[in-house]
Amino acid sequence: MKMIIDVLTVILPFFYLVTVIAYGYAFIPKKPAAKKFKTPLLITTIVVHLLYIILRTIYFVHPPIISVFEILSLLAFSIAASYRIIEIRTGIKNTGFLILLLSLIFQTISSLFIQDLYEVNPILRNNLLGIHVLSALIGYSAFTISAVYGLMYLLQYHNLKTNTLGIFFDNLPNLERLEHLTHNAITVGFLLLTIAIIIGVAWLPYAFEEYSFLDPKLLGTLLVWIMYGVGLFMIKLGKRRGKQIMKLAISGFLVSIFSLTIINLYFSSFHNFF
Amino acid sequence: MLYLLGINHRTADLATREKLWLSDEEIRTLLSAFHRQFFEECFIVSTCNRTELYGVPLSKHSFASDTELFDAVERQMIAVKNAGEEVSPEHFYRLKDMHAAKHLMKVATGLDSMVLGDVQILNQLRQHYYLAAELKTSGAILNKLLQTAFHAGKRTKSETKISKGAVSVSYAAIDLAAKIFFDLGEKTALLIGAGETGELTARHLVSRGIGKLLITNRTLGKAETLAAELRAAAIPFDRFNEHLHNVDIVISSVNSTGFVLSKTELDAVFDNRKRSPLLIVDIGVPRNIDPEVNSIENVFLHDMDTLSRIVQQSLQRRHECIPEVNEIILDELTEFHRWHKSHAVAPILDEVRAVYESIRNEELIQHIHKFRPDDKELVEHVTKRIIHRLMQLPASELRNGKDDTPEQKEMKLRMVRKLFGLNGESHSKEKE
Repeated sequence: MKMIIDVLTVILPFFYLVTVIAYGYAFIPKKPAAKKFKTPLLITTIVVHLLYIILRTIYFVHPPIISVFEILSLLAFSIAASYRIIEIRTGIKNTGFLILLLSLIFQTISSLFIQDLYEVNPILRNNLLGIHVLSALIGYSAFTISAVYGLMYLLQYHNLKTNTLGIFFDNLPNLERLEHLTHNAITVGFLLLTIAIIIGVAWLPYAFEEYSFLDPKLLGTLLVWIMYGVGLFMIKLGKRRGKQIMKLAISGFLVSIFSLTIINLYFSSFHNFF
Repeated sequence: MLYLLGINHRTADLATREKLWLSDEEIRTLLSAFHRQFFEECFIVSTCNRTELYGVPLSKHSFASDTELFDAVERQMIAVKNAGEEVSPEHFYRLKDMHAAKHLMKVATGLDSMVLGDVQILNQLRQHYYLAAELKTSGAILNKLLQTAFHAGKRTKSETKISKGAVSVSYAAIDLAAKIFFDLGEKTALLIGAGETGELTARHLVSRGIGKLLITNRTLGKAETLAAELRAAAIPFDRFNEHLHNVDIVISSVNSTGFVLSKTELDAVFDNRKRSPLLIVDIGVPRNIDPEVNSIENVFLHDMDTLSRIVQQSLQRRHECIPEVNEIILDELTEFHRWHKSHAVAPILDEVRAVYESIRNEELIQHIHKFRPDDKELVEHVTKRIIHRLMQLPASELRNGKDDTPEQKEMKLRMVRKLFGLNGESHSKEKE
C-alpha cells in the first residue's frame, strides 16, 4: 500500500496538470477534443485524489489533516470537487482553467514536501475534530473559489470598461452571474468557517491543557471570519455591490492563505500538530 | 448520379433571385412535375438568397446528354415563374455528383450563406425537405444526402464558432448586454430616439426577451407608434431622466449637437440605482452621451466604435473557422460517399442472395426427407452458412474495390447481373 501511496503522491500533480491543460485548451483555442475530454479528466483526477486520501488515512491511521502539506492536498481536492459541483449546478464549464490551476499549485506543493507521519498527537483522535477540519476546509475552498470568480469579475469588468475585446471577454461569464457565484461562495465559506470556529472553541478546553485565545492561528482565522462577516453584512444592507464584493473575495482569500500557511509554518502555536 | 441546378447570391442580384423565389405551393407543383418526368428523386430549396434543385435523374431518360436535361429543367423553372426576361442561363450554376453533394454541405454549414456562418438556412432546408418527403419525391439517396447535410450543419453549429458573434451593430449591442446581465427578462431598457438603428436594436432586445422596454423620442407620436408595435411604453423626451434609476440598458440614437445625457445628470440618479450595472449604448453620430459617464462605477458606455469592432472581430473569427468547417464537410462527404457506394451494391447483393436462397430451398424440399428428423435443423444451419460464406467474397469485392474507377465498378455490377441472370427477373421465374 505504501508503494501505491508514494506513486500517487508523484502522479497526482500530473493528473491535475493534464486536467488544467485540457481546460486551458477548451478555454482559449476552444479545441473540440479538449472540450470533450476535460470533464472526464477532472472526474478521474477527483476519483484518484479521493483514493489517495483514503489510502493515506488507512495506512497512516489518521486523516491527512495534520501537517500543512496534508491540508494543502485536501484543499486541492476540495477545490476540484467543489468546482465540479458548481459545473453541475450552473452549467458553466469554461472557468475551470483558472480554478483548477489553484488545485494544481496546492497539490504540487503538497506532493513535493509531504512527509509520512506515523506518530499522531492523541488529541487528534476525536470525532469533533473531523467535523471541525472538514467544515474549515470546505469553507476555505469556497473562499478560494470566490476569489477566482472575483478575479474573473474584475477582468471582465475591466474589459467592459475599456472596450477590450479578446479571449477573456469572449469566454468569461457575464458580470451578474460572476457576482452571484462569488456571493454564494462567500456565504457558504462563511457559514462553514463559523461552524469550524464554534466547534473549535467548544473543543479547546477538553483537548488542550494550555491554550490561548490570543494564539496567532486563532487570531488569523478570526480576522478572516470578521472580514467576510462584515462584508456579507454590508452586502445585505445593499451598501456593497459588484467590484467591492470582488475586492472582499480576493483580499479575504489572501488573508486566508496567510493564516493557513505562513502563520502555520512560522509562528509557534498550540494549534500545530507536527 | 446527383444533379444540382441553382441560382444564389453569388450568381444573381436580389431582383433576379426574387423572380425565381418559390412559395411552398410552387415548390410542390414543381416537385410533382419534375418527379418521374426528369428525376427519380428531387428536392427544392428556395430562400431569399437561393433557389436550388437537387435531383437524381431517371435511369432511362430521353435526353442525349446532361446538358440537355439541365436545359430542360432550367427552362421549366423559368417558365413556371414567368421570369424569362429577368433570368438568363448565366445566372444558374450546374453541378454533378460529389460536387453537388459538397455544395449542399456548404449551404447547410453556412459556408455558402450571404453572411458567413448564418445557419438559419438549416431550418429552411429542413422545412423544404419535409415538402419533398410529404410528396414522396425524395428517396433513399436524397434522404441520406439531406440527413448528412443536417448532421454537418448541426456539427458545425456545436463544434465551431462560425455562427457565433454579432455580425451587425444592432446585434453587437445585445452581445454586450449579455456580457453584463444574466437574464434580460428581468431587465428594463430605454431607447432614446426611434431612429432606424435604434429601432433595430430595440427589436433585437424584444426578440431576446427584454423584460420591459421604454421608448422616448423628440416627437412623442413616433415613440408611441413604435411602442405600440413592440409592446413597450412611450415616455416624453424631456422627462426620460426620471426613469434612469429604473433602467439597466440605455440605447441612444438621436440626432443631436449636444449630449442628451451628461455625467452630472447620471451621477444625480445613480445613488437611487443601488449601484446596479448600467449599460449605455451610444449609437448616435455625433455621440449623444457624455463620454465622462464611463468613469462612474458600474456604468458601461459603448459607442459605434466598440460595436463596429465587435462586428469586425466576429466576422474575422468566422473566417478563421472555415478550415474547421471544411474538415467537417469532408468527414460527412466521405461518410456519404461510403454509404452511396454500398447503397448501389446492396440491391444486387440482395438479389444474388435471393438466387442462392431459392436454390437452397428447392434442394431442401427435394432432399430433406433423406435426413433423419433430428438432423433437419443442422442441415438448415449448414446450408445457410454455406450461402453466407459464398456471399462474403463477392460482397467484399463489390463494396471495397478502392482502386476501381466508376466505369470498372459499373462493369463489375453488370457482370454480376449477367452471371446470375438478374435483369429484373428472379431466378425462380426464369426457371418457370
